[in-house]
Amino acid sequence: MIKMEKVCKSFGPLEVLKNIDLEVKKGEVVCIIGPSGSGKSTLLRSLNHLERITSGRVYIDGELIDEKVDGKDQIKISHKKVAEICAELGMVFQRFNLFPHMTVLENVIEAPITVRNLPRQDTVNFAIELLKKVGLEDKKDEYPSRLSGGQQQRVAIARALAMKPKIMLFDEPTSALDPELVGEVLSVMKELAREGMTMVVVTHEMGFAREVASRVIFMDKGEILEEAAPDEIFSNPKHERTKSFLQKVL
Amino acid sequence: MSWEKFMTYLPSLLEGSVNTILLTIVSVMFGAVLGLFLALGRLSKNKAVDRVCWFYIWVFRGTPLLMQLYFIYYGLPKISESLTLPGQWPSALLALSLNSAAYLAEIIRAAIQSIDKGQMEAAKALGMSYKQAMTRIIIPQSYRRLIPPVGNELIALLKDSSLVSIMGMIELMKITQGIASRESSAAIYIPAAALYLVMTTLFTYIFEKLEKKYSVYE
Repeated sequence: MIKMEKVCKSFGPLEVLKNIDLEVKKGEVVCIIGPSGSGKSTLLRSLNHLERITSGRVYIDGELIDEKVDGKDQIKISHKKVAEICAELGMVFQRFNLFPHMTVLENVIEAPITVRNLPRQDTVNFAIELLKKVGLEDKKDEYPSRLSGGQQQRVAIARALAMKPKIMLFDEPTSALDPELVGEVLSVMKELAREGMTMVVVTHEMGFAREVASRVIFMDKGEILEEAAPDEIFSNPKHERTKSFLQKVL
Repeated sequence: MSWEKFMTYLPSLLEGSVNTILLTIVSVMFGAVLGLFLALGRLSKNKAVDRVCWFYIWVFRGTPLLMQLYFIYYGLPKISESLTLPGQWPSALLALSLNSAAYLAEIIRAAIQSIDKGQMEAAKALGMSYKQAMTRIIIPQSYRRLIPPVGNELIALLKDSSLVSIMGMIELMKITQGIASRESSAAIYIPAAALYLVMTTLFTYIFEKLEKKYSVYE
């Protein structure tokens, strides 16, 4: 579903991604862990053009969506095509980024109606189903500012799912939450994983990674240092830096 | 000036006030539309578009409105007969609209830029185009932030609209001047000033109400 080849990204002189090779298959749940500033979020954001890579190739669902050499585009790709591909990738942000001027229901139906031109009534029905799934059907007419962080993040997940994405990207979805609200968001994500959604999750929740991930990737200083099944990486890390990171967080 | 005299002049003062309000509101409406495009131009990635809009704003904010009025009313016909505008209303509306567009453009640009970057990212991640993200997500959120500065601009323009009296346009200022010279007394300026105050107070009140209405989701 996702393939990255020799992806590099720099912000000026700062190299945030160095020669990243990554493949995610259908139905996999890949958790990316590592210290802050290691490039985890940048990696995730370069999958849907929120960050543009400096060199390398990115494929989504078999389609080449970014190819660069020294910051120059090698392929022509229209804004429309990029938007189409982004719509296949649901994204959940650390800071929720719900649309504050719209109610919960309006947030969820906005993109299917404006982007996909789907009929309103069907979209509303589907949205209510999704809100039931995240346990927030009764909040559908509230504005996001009235909801707790955990509730907002669950709405954000429902909003992303409303586009029927093939892949879900999570960018530290629980990092901005009060500790007691983390569980409700993680349980929604676990449910998604059980249903077979392909997911890439940047997270600091080691318990979640251990329980749900099919594969865990450890990143440090812009590189993928280690990549293994969760049991292996947590109980028997190979790399020194992985060991010391896990000692600190576990 | 006697009370009776004042009462005989009141209808013309009110008529002038109506023109002042019309002139202000219509100019702000045209100015807001043009200002929105200028603001989007200033935010555009296209350097040339950005420059053109910057230049427009630079000129219209950097020169006196009075000179802009002179230029449109007296200057344009000198350049070419075909540039003569039919009458005072069009000239006054054009000058005030072009001028307020420059100020409103900067107000709108600031409001758009104050919206959290995450909003554009969320819209793009959902597959929206730049235009869809702007019209559905970013611009609607900027409304509430626009209300206070647009209120200020409207009040400033209402007072500045008195300048159009120099081209003989019939509005509150021109009428007051006429009465003052006929009566050889400046006393009429006091009720005229009071009328300006009533109008600005009215707008202040309306904008406070609007601000409350648009803050429901905050």
